[in-house]
Order: sequence, then C-alpha cells, then structure tokens
Amino acid sequence: MMGGDRYGSPLLIGTVDFVETPDSILAKFDELIADLSSDSARDKRQTREVEFEAKREAERNAEVAAELENELEAESESSRAKPAYKREITPAIETETEGNLEVKPAITRVTPASKSKSKGKSKKAPEDHRESVLAVTGLTKRFGDTTAVDGIDLTVKAGTIFGIVGPNGAGKTTTLSMITGLLRPDSGTVVVHGHDVWANPALAKSFMGVLPDRLRLFDRLTGGQLLYYAGVLRGLPKWAVRERMWQLATALGFDEALGRLVADYSAGMMKKITLAAALIHSPRLLVLDEPFESVDPVSVASIVDILAKYVEAGGTVVLSSHSMDLIQRMCDSVAIIVGGEVLASGTVDEVRGQGSLEEKFIELAGGVTVSGGLEWLHSFSD
Amino acid sequence: MVAQLLGLKLRLLGNSFRRSPWQVFGLIVGLSYGLGAAFVATLGLVILRDVDANIARNIVVVAGSLVILGFLFVPLVFGADDTVDPRKFTLFGIPNSRLALGLAAAAFVGVPAVVMTVIGAAQIVTWSRNTEALLVAILSAIVLVITCMLSSRVMTTMATLLLATRRAREATGLIALLVLGALSPLIAIMVTVDWEKRGLPVLHKIADIVAFTPLGAVWAAPAYAAVGDTSAMFSTMAIAIGFVLVLWVVWRVLVAAMMVTPERESRGRTYRGLGWFSYLPATPVGAVAARSLSYWGRDARYRSALVIVPIVPAVMIGALTVAGMPLNNLLLLPVPVMCFFLAWSTVHNDVAFDNTAIWMHVSSNISGRADRAGRVVPPLLLGLLVILVGTPLSAWGYGSADIVPSLLGVSLCVLLAGLGLSSIISAGFPYPAVHPGDSPFAQPQSSASGASWVQGLSLLGVLVVTAPTVYFAVLGILYGGGWHVASLLLGIGTGVVALVGGILLGGRVFDARGPELLSFTERY
Repeated sequence: MMGGDRYGSPLLIGTVDFVETPDSILAKFDELIADLSSDSARDKRQTREVEFEAKREAERNAEVAAELENELEAESESSRAKPAYKREITPAIETETEGNLEVKPAITRVTPASKSKSKGKSKKAPEDHRESVLAVTGLTKRFGDTTAVDGIDLTVKAGTIFGIVGPNGAGKTTTLSMITGLLRPDSGTVVVHGHDVWANPALAKSFMGVLPDRLRLFDRLTGGQLLYYAGVLRGLPKWAVRERMWQLATALGFDEALGRLVADYSAGMMKKITLAAALIHSPRLLVLDEPFESVDPVSVASIVDILAKYVEAGGTVVLSSHSMDLIQRMCDSVAIIVGGEVLASGTVDEVRGQGSLEEKFIELAGGVTVSGGLEWLHSFSD
Repeated sequence: MVAQLLGLKLRLLGNSFRRSPWQVFGLIVGLSYGLGAAFVATLGLVILRDVDANIARNIVVVAGSLVILGFLFVPLVFGADDTVDPRKFTLFGIPNSRLALGLAAAAFVGVPAVVMTVIGAAQIVTWSRNTEALLVAILSAIVLVITCMLSSRVMTTMATLLLATRRAREATGLIALLVLGALSPLIAIMVTVDWEKRGLPVLHKIADIVAFTPLGAVWAAPAYAAVGDTSAMFSTMAIAIGFVLVLWVVWRVLVAAMMVTPERESRGRTYRGLGWFSYLPATPVGAVAARSLSYWGRDARYRSALVIVPIVPAVMIGALTVAGMPLNNLLLLPVPVMCFFLAWSTVHNDVAFDNTAIWMHVSSNISGRADRAGRVVPPLLLGLLVILVGTPLSAWGYGSADIVPSLLGVSLCVLLAGLGLSSIISAGFPYPAVHPGDSPFAQPQSSASGASWVQGLSLLGVLVVTAPTVYFAVLGILYGGGWHVASLLLGIGTGVVALVGGILLGGRVFDARGPELLSFTERY
C-alpha cells in the first residue's frame, strides 16, 4: 500500500504520524509544560504553594500546641511527669526561629527558614541544625517464640540519608514497619520530629512518607487515581495533588502509565508509584523499604538524584537495600542489622573502616561459608 | 516418572492435613461431604438393582450425564486451583508423553477419583442382572473413572491456558453467574412439571437422546446389555471409549502446548482522567468513596456481588411460588432483600477485601470515621436507586398504593441498618476473604475460624434492628391506615440511628485497631 518513496524516510513518517495523532496524555503534559513556563502562572502557582505550606504549618503548630497543652494538663494531674518527652517537643515548634545549635560543616547554607520560604525556592525550609528527626529506642517485636527485632536503638539526623542493611530475615522490614506505625511494637519508642509514633500517631505519621515492602496497593485504580488518592488521604487540596502527580510521574518516568490500572504494572513500576505516593505530601522523613528492588538502572539514578536534592533541602531519608554499593555511595550513615540487633552503626566511613561496606557486611552477617559438600557440582551430570 | 508424580500428588494430599486445625476441619468437612454424596449415590444405585431395567437406565443415564458435565465445566468456570499444572514441570525436561501419562495418573489420587470409583462400583451392582451386563458394567466402571479424571484435567488445563489473563478470568466468572441466573427460571419450570403423570415419559425421552452422547454413553452401555439390546450396547460403548481416546489426544496436545506457552501477559486498557475521583470532593471521605465506587465497578469480587443482587429475590420468589405462597404478597420481598444484599454482602468484610492495601489508610492515619463513611457510599447510592425504582413496581404488582410507606420504611431500614452494622463488623471482626485479583468463586486461601459466626451474627443484628419496622408494616397490611406511616417513620429513624452509630463506633474501632487490621490482612 505504501509508496516506495515513503519507505525511504521512515523517520519522517514516524514523526508526522506522531504529530497527527497526539496522545491525550502527551497533550495534557504539553499543556502542563506551557502552564509551567508562563511566568504569571508560575508566580500564581508559587504563591499558592507558599500559602498552602504556610497554612499547613500553622495547622500543625496549632495541633502541636494543643497536644502540648494536653500534655501539660496531664502532667499537672498525674504525678508521673515525663520531662524528657516534653523537652523533645519544645524545640520542634521553634524550629523556624531558633538559631542553629550544632551545625556540622557539611552544611553550608545557613539561610533563615522564613526567608527561604518567601523566595519559594524549595518547599521545605532547610534545617539549619542537625537535630535528630527520628529517634528509636529499645524497639522490640516478638512473633511467638522468635524475636524478630531485639531492642534496636537508632538515631537519624535531619538532612541525612540513613541506610539499613542486613541479610534476609534480619528484621529490617519489621523495624521499618514499627517506625512507620504499621506494626505495633512489643516495647520501645519511636519519636519522629519530636512526636511519639505510637502515642500520637496522627501528628507523627503526617511527617512521614512511607514505601513499605511487599504490601499491596489499591491496584484496581489507575496510576493517576492511586497517586491522587494518596495525596488526598494526606490532606492535600485538589490542585496541589494534580500538579504534583504529573510532576512526580514525569520525574520517575511513568507518566505514560498513569492511565493504566496499577494491577497491570510491572514490579519496578509499582515501586516507583509507591515512592511517588510517599513523596506527594512533601514529608519531612521518608522511610523506604527496598526502594530499588526490581527498578531499572535509569530509574534508580533518577530516584537517587531526587533523594539527594530532597536531602539537600533538609529532608531525611531512611532506606533499606541489599545493594551495598548504592548504600555506600548515597548514604551518610548506615546501620547493619543481623538477627534483630544492630551490630554496627554510624557514618558509612566509620562502619566500613578500611574495606568496603560489602566486606564489612559479609564479615558481620556471618561470613562466606562455601567450603566442602558441593564437589559434585563441579562434575556435570550429562 | 508415573510413580514419582503419584508420590508427589499423595504428598500434596497428605500435607493438606498438616495445616492449621481449622483448615483440616474444613478439609474433613469437604471430604465427608464428598463421601456422603458417594454414599447416597451408592445407596441409590444399589436400590435401582431391583427396579425395571428401563426405568433404572433412564435415571442412571440422566443423573450420570450431569456428573460428567460437572467434571467438564466446574474447573472451567470456577478456575480450579491446579497444584500439578503441567507448566510447573517445564524446566525438568521430561518427555511430553511421559509427563502427560504421569500427570493423568496423578489425577487419580484425590477425593473426586475415590468418589467416582465408589459410584462406578455401585453401578456394577445395579447391572448385575445377567453375566453380559455384569461384564459390560465392569468395563463401564473403568471407562467412567478415566473419563471423569481426564475431563477435569483437560478442562482445568484449558482454563489456565485460555483464561490466563485477569480480564478473561473475571469475564467467565461473571458469565457463569449470569447463565446461572438465567437458568433459575428454567429450574423453576422443571420443578413445576407434573412429574407424577408426565415425569417418566419426559425422563425416558431425555435418556434416549443423552445415552448416545459422550456424557451418557458410558452409563447406558450396561443398561442396554441388561435388556439384551446388543447393537445399542456396542455403539454406546464405542462412543464412551472413543470419548476417552479423544480426551487423551487433547490432553496430550495440551501438555505439549503448555510446555512452550509461558503465562500470558495482559495488556491493560488505558483510562482517561480520574474517574469518580474528579466528581467527588477532595476530602478523605470523598476519596474513599471514589475509590470504593471504582472498585464496585472494576473489581470482579464486587461485580459478582452486584450480579447476585437481582438473582437472589428471583430465586426466592420462584421457590416460594412453587411452595404455594400467593404471588402478590411475594412481590413485596425483592426490594428489601436486594437492599439487604447490597448493604451486607461485601461491606461487612470490606477491610479484608482490601487486603494489605489497607496500609495506605493506616500510614496516612485517616480517621476511622472517614474510612467507614466513604465505604458506605456505593451500596447506599445503589440501594437508594433500587428503592426508588423498585418500590412503585412492587406496589403496582401487589395491587395497592397503600403499601408504599411501609415498604419504603422496611427497605430503608434494612439498607441503613445493614450498612451501619457492616461498618462495625468490617473493622471489628474481619475474616479471610478472596484476595484481590483471584476469582470471586475461589475459596479464601485459608478458611479460618469465625467466618460463619460473624456472618450469622451480623445477619441476626440486621433482623433485630429491622424487626419493629417489619412488625408495624405487617400491622399496616392487616389493619391498614396509620400503621404504614408509623412503619415508614420508625424505619427511617432506626435506620439513620443505626447507620450513624455504626459509622461512629466502627470508626473508633478502626482508629484503635488500624495496625492490627493490617497485620490481620498480612497473615491471610
């Protein structure tokens, strides 16, 4: 049917066809880009973002104040005061105004929080001081006779990436589930940004973005619907969810799949959309369980890039992975968990010492035990 | 090879007893049900020995054909779980013929094979009237068992091969339900046939035809031997054996095809926009409602519940008419019954339907109240639609407009109270449900304790809350006048209180037990 001359320029045919039948999604995307590039729209967007963030912050502060009041009331009523807990709450409110206490040289930007907000450069004010955003003490979980997690203590400083590594079945997922409020611990406390996850879940959970491992998604929704759902459940207004949805999908490279059912996604795409759902409400702390499992290298690179920028802006990431190389490259601190206990923790350099992280990990996790018994494997059966 | 596969099947069967006590209990119930059916069939077949050969033939051929039909179509429709899928042996490099033989032999280890062997033996007794019939019956018994086992193997494999995609699986399930729904009037007609007078001739005609099809031939051969019709005996036996050969060839081809057919990938269609999400407010309640509405439209488990809604009252009316109830009174039933099924069938175990996806609600810490209220929206809308359309129709069929207020009262009360109670039950007492993506008819992967008492108790709860309204409605039918209006007011009152109370209480339970609910869904 096709003329010979058309065979000569297949590239051109492709281009023409493409322009003639614009995909609805691509059209929408172009529209979005146009919207983004127009200055007035951008200004409007930014004012909206800033206003919205300010409102959210104010709401949260009110919540904190109310909580504090309750706390004080409870304190005056009962003789069993908890001064340590209270002291942790107080600086949390004053984050924006308080000067830095323990700035590490690594952070060079010491912009006051309020200023950076009005500039609208980043959504979150950079943390001037590296206070601990996540403090885990004595976390324990037993399933029947086995102790999955045995008194784990962890402290994660704001503006860092914290890696958790360990062999299969070491209790990483159990630990992260207890941190994110998905699994009730037998004992121990988890404090996120000054709020106990298990005493005050509403507030503590609002600071967290979560990517759990091996849990289903509402997979009869399309990708777009799922992200929208996640955003609205987190209390975002409609316009914010719509904008962020497209930006996240584009950044993570699944924007073309937003109209497909999540049930038809591949394993890597599911990871990416869960990550997007975790990011959508711009949380202070990201807890990611195996975020790179079955994700392609290009997407891993873009995820690492997104996380690096997020951390630079003051965000904090806790993640688990089996890729020692990646952990060594991207993390500031690392904890090695074996058999439900922390065997080593500290900055990556402290933990790995002279060798690589992988060598240290294998040494701690029990070492390589390939010795006798497999000789038959070296003579082939055919 | 055959011995190894037999051993594997035996071990699979044995291991099914090594699960939790409740699962073993379920298995034993299934087993005793099968053996009970076999016992009844055996008893019947033994009794038939003393019945006239022609009548015995009619009964055995018609009932027997239904049994073989079951072996052919049950796996296709219900997607039997195939523990020995030929594909699982692809990587062992076993020659196709040996694998086909081994897997077919392995099919003889299991409850269905035992039941069919018992029945086969029993029909030998039926036909032990003369030597020829006895010999033919023994041959028939062997052919029968092979036919049944090969049929179920072929159709199970066919199902996994053809219905590999999610969409195809869900579609067949729904089609089967619709066919079943369409059949229910047919069954009602069958029931109304005057069997005493015309039953035997009808049965005889059916048996005459079915005897020469692959379904009935194997049952008919010994019968013809017993009455001395040698040519019919030979031709039916030839049909029966021919069918086995055809099944074997198909099985052999299927196994070979399965070896080189990896599981099919489904190509999903693309949806535009946000669907229900764009029509509902961007609040937690709105989002949960939009999500629920999408699920009612897309998820086979909810859709099958929807399809059942109109079937149940139809079957009920059919059965009760046969039992001799006046039709115009029965026409009052469909609307309340449909409301009840909408409010109860999936909502009372909705959290278990979500499975582990419920983590999104737990980690975003949405209020239990919003979660409960959102889930109630789709059945509430559907129920109101049913009431709006169904009440005038019902009243028209009943023949009096006076009934409208009390019919409205009872329907609304059933709908609202059902939703309220379901809201509490789904947060407080979830029990294992079919996993997302599995066939709606599949058994939950583990049938734990409690499912039946939760269902029973919630049913009882709805009955108790609705009882006063129904009582007033009955008074209205008997004495007329103000009782109808009283029933309407009471129905709306108790319904609204039950719904609001259910959402509040259920919300509190959900708030307190969020992580525990997630752990529950993770276990099943």
